[in-house]
Amino acid sequence: MIRRAATVGRVGTPAVRAYAPVVVACGLVALLPLRYGDSRPMMGVVIGGVLFACYAVGFNVIFGSTGQLFLCTGALAGLGGYASAILSDRHGLPLMLAMLLATLVAATAGGLLSWIAVSRSLGVIFTGIVTLAFALAFQNLLLGQRDLTGGETGLVVEAGSDTLLGEQVAPFYVFVALLAGYLALFRALQRSHIGWAFRALRDDEIAAELAGVDVKRYRVLAGTLGSGMIGLAGALYAHSEGFISPSTFSFGEVDVLVIVMLAFGGIGSLLGPVVGAAAFTVLEEWMDSFNEYRLIIYGSVILVLFLVLPRGVVPTVQGLVERLRRRAGRPAAPVAPSPVDTLNPG
Amino acid sequence: MRAVVFDGVVLGLQFGLLGVGLTLVYGLGGVLNLAQGQFAVLGAIVVALRIDAGSAVVPAVLTGLVVAGSVGLALDLTLMRPVYRRTGEDRVLLGLLLMLGVAFIIDGVLVWRYPIEALTLRIGGEPVDVLGVRMRTGSLLASAIALGVGAILVLFLRYAATGKAVRSVIQDEEGAQLCGVSPEKVRAFVFALSGVLAALVAVTRSMTSPVTVNAGIDFTILALIVAVVGGLGSVSGAFLAGILLGIVNTVSAHYIGTYVTTIVLLGAAAITIVLRPSGLLGAGRE
Amino acid sequence: MLEVAELSAGYLGQDVVHQVSFAVDEGEAVAVIGSNGAGKTTLFRAVCGLLRPSRGSVRLDGRPITRRRAHDIARRGLAYVPAERHLFPEMTVAENLDLGAFPHRPRGERQALVLELFPRLAERRGQRAGTLSGGEQQMVAVGRALMSEPRLLLLDEPTTGLAPTVAAAAYEALTVLRGQGLTIVVAEQQVPLALGFADRGYVLESGRIQLGGDAAELEDNPDVQLAYLGIT
Repeated sequence: MIRRAATVGRVGTPAVRAYAPVVVACGLVALLPLRYGDSRPMMGVVIGGVLFACYAVGFNVIFGSTGQLFLCTGALAGLGGYASAILSDRHGLPLMLAMLLATLVAATAGGLLSWIAVSRSLGVIFTGIVTLAFALAFQNLLLGQRDLTGGETGLVVEAGSDTLLGEQVAPFYVFVALLAGYLALFRALQRSHIGWAFRALRDDEIAAELAGVDVKRYRVLAGTLGSGMIGLAGALYAHSEGFISPSTFSFGEVDVLVIVMLAFGGIGSLLGPVVGAAAFTVLEEWMDSFNEYRLIIYGSVILVLFLVLPRGVVPTVQGLVERLRRRAGRPAAPVAPSPVDTLNPG
Repeated sequence: MRAVVFDGVVLGLQFGLLGVGLTLVYGLGGVLNLAQGQFAVLGAIVVALRIDAGSAVVPAVLTGLVVAGSVGLALDLTLMRPVYRRTGEDRVLLGLLLMLGVAFIIDGVLVWRYPIEALTLRIGGEPVDVLGVRMRTGSLLASAIALGVGAILVLFLRYAATGKAVRSVIQDEEGAQLCGVSPEKVRAFVFALSGVLAALVAVTRSMTSPVTVNAGIDFTILALIVAVVGGLGSVSGAFLAGILLGIVNTVSAHYIGTYVTTIVLLGAAAITIVLRPSGLLGAGRE
Repeated sequence: MLEVAELSAGYLGQDVVHQVSFAVDEGEAVAVIGSNGAGKTTLFRAVCGLLRPSRGSVRLDGRPITRRRAHDIARRGLAYVPAERHLFPEMTVAENLDLGAFPHRPRGERQALVLELFPRLAERRGQRAGTLSGGEQQMVAVGRALMSEPRLLLLDEPTTGLAPTVAAAAYEALTVLRGQGLTIVVAEQQVPLALGFADRGYVLESGRIQLGGDAAELEDNPDVQLAYLGIT
């Protein structure tokens, strides 16, 4: 079976061209406060959108790059958020240190889950179930440990409110910077030997192993890295929002959206998370008045997406562009394969 | 303590029945029916609506079962076609995601149209003494139904021609085809059956506590845990796991607390997957 | 009885078998010989419905069965015994055999007949199929195929992994069946056994039929002798 080679990873694509999408996308996003900077609620929505884009990039690293179905994105973010809040508020740690430790906690949790999954050769279903069990258990932990986490009522996060993060517009730029960093990291991974290993093991695990790729190590690496990214975003959110509760990080609030966003944008693609996050933040806002239909709409979106457009928007558009270029006689543009490729009947 | 354990057995038998549908569908085709809980709730709501409209209990229950089964059948004949065309992990992933979407849709529709609807079946009669423990008639009836249906199911799979055909597809799909068994028909039948079983559990649960319109997720997770611990594809495994976990559930909830209980149950599933993925009784064994 | 015309089939878009044509008359015993990778299994799978052919046609008693599903073809009287056997490991020998008769009720007499053919199995009726030896599993596989009272029996390398005496016994059983009027097509790497048993044969090489003729002719053919019989 002939798969399109990921030429984006090929040595020789100039760095400027490779990172341009990151700069352009984040540049555009950074313009938003010009329109919404005056409204606190709107800034909240916009920040939420960028936050989810960050979550989605992390999930993209785990699932898009190495095919591990982690159904615990919310829990990983929650680990970051709650850990950072507790460490800084309760134990007086400086903000940066608290966030760093929180990131490490999330990264370790994710890495551990990956490691368990690869050691026991758990397939998609079992990885999904184990991570889901973790997510649900974490949720119950948050609810049950009242003294530590405030239980259902949630936790007010004071640390950070006196910094940039406490303002109305400034946190937005912090998040955009984070997103830019994440996207740059994703692109750097794609262009590196790590990215090559990821593609190899996604394509044919046994062949990759035989070619010398230590599949286990790369899966755990992806799990650790992606989880850390998700955790950091969660921690940052905790401090900028000033309040977190178990529902902030529940499966229904986070995981569902992240999966749908990434599926829409394009699993495995660079800008998929951004496109998906943008689309669904707008949709959520628009749906505010149709709250009863929310689940129905998301369910239908999932069905339509995975039946009709499993590659997502970005790769489909890239494919179209490539066909136009070829007709115009120009060389083909790079298109990276994704694990969802296998969902394509073609 | 004995009362707690008995309650656990009552609960467990129903857990088992809930997990059976899920485990069979997975054993047959690798599809993880994440909408199992929603089938149950759908059945319950239909029964509740029929009773509200003045129907007697038994016909209402039958209607609910038929509706749930029909939805299962319809889904298999439509959505599952592209899923079964794939193989291996592709099939598993697509099946899982599509059923997740279905779960959302059913949940969304039910919550939207009947937000306050719930099913409660009051079974009259004096509490009965069983081995020194006073049991409500509702609990006893629920147990009897679950046990009876479970026994019929196991016997059916063991001895009936169609039942053997079902097992044959689970054990070796190609071998089954060569014997003249149509895997598609078997899958459609079992999908519908799992819908009926789910709805039945909702009905039996309603005999001891109300089944509300948002209970879907809880049911699905329970079914998942039971099926995993019992061994995906094993009916008797699901029942065994159901009873064990039912007892764990009530004992833990009684002595420790609800949040910890949920964590314990989830942990049981996770530990099973990590230590012994084939579950208590492995796949294919009936 | 069986007509295969210009059949091509393969996996993932690549054909392994190219425009194969052959025919089998009622009551005949035909051998398809070829080395590993020649395409015998692919050919048989395409004929019996486990694999969709990309081109060509298959007719059973004049009626096309080309794109029909395996279970449908099985019910029309074509029984296939795959090389991997595909038994039901958790079921007993008796249960495996009975399923062969699906969807009809398994007749006790039928099972008795099959067990007469394979006396070793009679002792192991209640044993789980997964615990049997290779030779016994092969017997169950053939027996199961016979339970549906097929008119055409296709066997893919029935002697794989069997000790020589067991392999010979298998072909003795096939000869008995042949004597009872069953049409048999067998794919084999073990050429002497196959050509000794069959009336006619085809040589499959790289997915194409290279030779065809009476079994005796093939045995005498110098190319066949060189390639498959080790005779120079």
